[in-house]
Amino acid sequence: MALIERYQKTTDISYWEGQIPMSYIYTVGRAGEKFFREMMNGRIFGAKCESCDVTYVPPRTYCEKCFARLEDHYADVGGKGTVHTFTECHEAYDGTKKQKPSIVAMIRIEGTQGGIVHWLGETHFKDVYIGMSVEAVFKAKKDREGGILDIKYFRPIK
Amino acid sequence: MTKRVAIVGIGTTGFRATTPDVSYRELTYEAATKAYVDAGIEPKDVDSFVSTAEDFFEGYSIADEYSPDQLGAVLKPIYTVPGDFIQSLASAYMMILSGIGDISVVQGLSKASNMLSLSEMTTFAMDPIYNRPLKESPHAVAGMEMARFMHESGATREQCAKVVVKNKRNALDNPLAGHGVLIDSDYVLNSEVISFPLTQMDISPHSDGAVVVVLAEEKTAKTLSDKPIWIRGIGWCSDTPGLETRNWGEAIYAQMAAEMSYKMAGIRHPRSEIDFAEINDEFSYKELQHLEAMRICRKKEAGPLTETGGTEITGEFPVNPSGGCLGVGNLYELNGGHKVLEVVRQLRGEAGKNQLKDITTGLAQGWRGVPTATGAVAILSN
Repeated sequence: MALIERYQKTTDISYWEGQIPMSYIYTVGRAGEKFFREMMNGRIFGAKCESCDVTYVPPRTYCEKCFARLEDHYADVGGKGTVHTFTECHEAYDGTKKQKPSIVAMIRIEGTQGGIVHWLGETHFKDVYIGMSVEAVFKAKKDREGGILDIKYFRPIK
Repeated sequence: MTKRVAIVGIGTTGFRATTPDVSYRELTYEAATKAYVDAGIEPKDVDSFVSTAEDFFEGYSIADEYSPDQLGAVLKPIYTVPGDFIQSLASAYMMILSGIGDISVVQGLSKASNMLSLSEMTTFAMDPIYNRPLKESPHAVAGMEMARFMHESGATREQCAKVVVKNKRNALDNPLAGHGVLIDSDYVLNSEVISFPLTQMDISPHSDGAVVVVLAEEKTAKTLSDKPIWIRGIGWCSDTPGLETRNWGEAIYAQMAAEMSYKMAGIRHPRSEIDFAEINDEFSYKELQHLEAMRICRKKEAGPLTETGGTEITGEFPVNPSGGCLGVGNLYELNGGHKVLEVVRQLRGEAGKNQLKDITTGLAQGWRGVPTATGAVAILSN
């Protein structure tokens, strides 16, 4: 190379490419099993810790505050909540630009200290605000598979 | 009385967007060599080592097995902390307190430019059952956190943009920094929206580099160094990983980590008892959120303090005089290590053009980035 020339691309220099193929299954656990079975019926369930007066959504088998066992304390928490915070995301999970941005929100389920991170639908980004009342819209019963995507999105309560 | 422990050696490669000419091990070797020369020791003098590594970031299963050679730690006591560098620092500090040895070494590294699927890897940090099926970028988590923080604190996008302008300008005068540039707030506000209100310029671009720090017990420290930098307090804390139950507006993990370090250091009023801070600004709003969480200013005060220049190098409480993550680069698990390095350089009077005057105590803070809620804090004094 002459004095004024420089390597300008990392790939001009020796490197070795490698991939780590990774496949996993994630067992949902007992609380998850309850949550998703109820979701297939169009219901959202939480788990209540009586001594801390805290209701977890999604439900868990233990209280993160007092460490009590919550397995027999499941409760239907309804499908309504408020927008705790939200964003309009233009970037896909692989870092590329999305064709159409999505509205993602953390929805605090009414009467609980938990919630669900999901999309907002049937609304426009400019109309969304923190504190907005929303409700879950489920997929048609035949299409539900026992997963978080059994909820299509949350929409404003008119 | 508890033993006193000081930082007696620091070494770094500096930080650049790419490092095609060296391997990750050579980065560590360079930082280690400089740190040992700085401390006036050889690897054989070191009693125990702590490295910092996260398997997916390194590209190895069981990446910690690859730590010893380039540190001079073969056949020596060594283990790896898969966390922020300041958590590794805490571990090495405790080794001296517990009498395992008089000298311990901490290492951290970023070779972010090697990670071809960085976005997917961070997406894989989210809960596989409740969050990942949405296939949303972790930047959506940052966007939501920024929105909630602004809602609760009253901070504005303009004030967040000021953080970017300040830090990237500070970086111009830091020869270690790789992302210094002179821009104005409008440039930040008009840059591409990634996840509203978060724009491209609110996000720290990644960098490569390595940091090695040598710690010594008081007696050894005083023989090794003319300018020992004492660890006066250290703390660390994790909030729940659950996006559904965590606090979105306040960085509770930073608050609790800071309070733990203040208690150890005997600090009651951080604003007046600490002179400056190098804190995590991986996203612009995090600098403001962390300032309030660590009681360096009151709630709702970080935005106005920044706007009026209070956190500039010439301000009443300089924050990230090095350029921070925004100006130096996002170093992932090494972020806290860079903060410690810069606080030590300042306290030794080796910070060049960015040198602060009349300083005795500095705060270094690390955060593990989205979607985590883990932070660590170190209080250092000269």
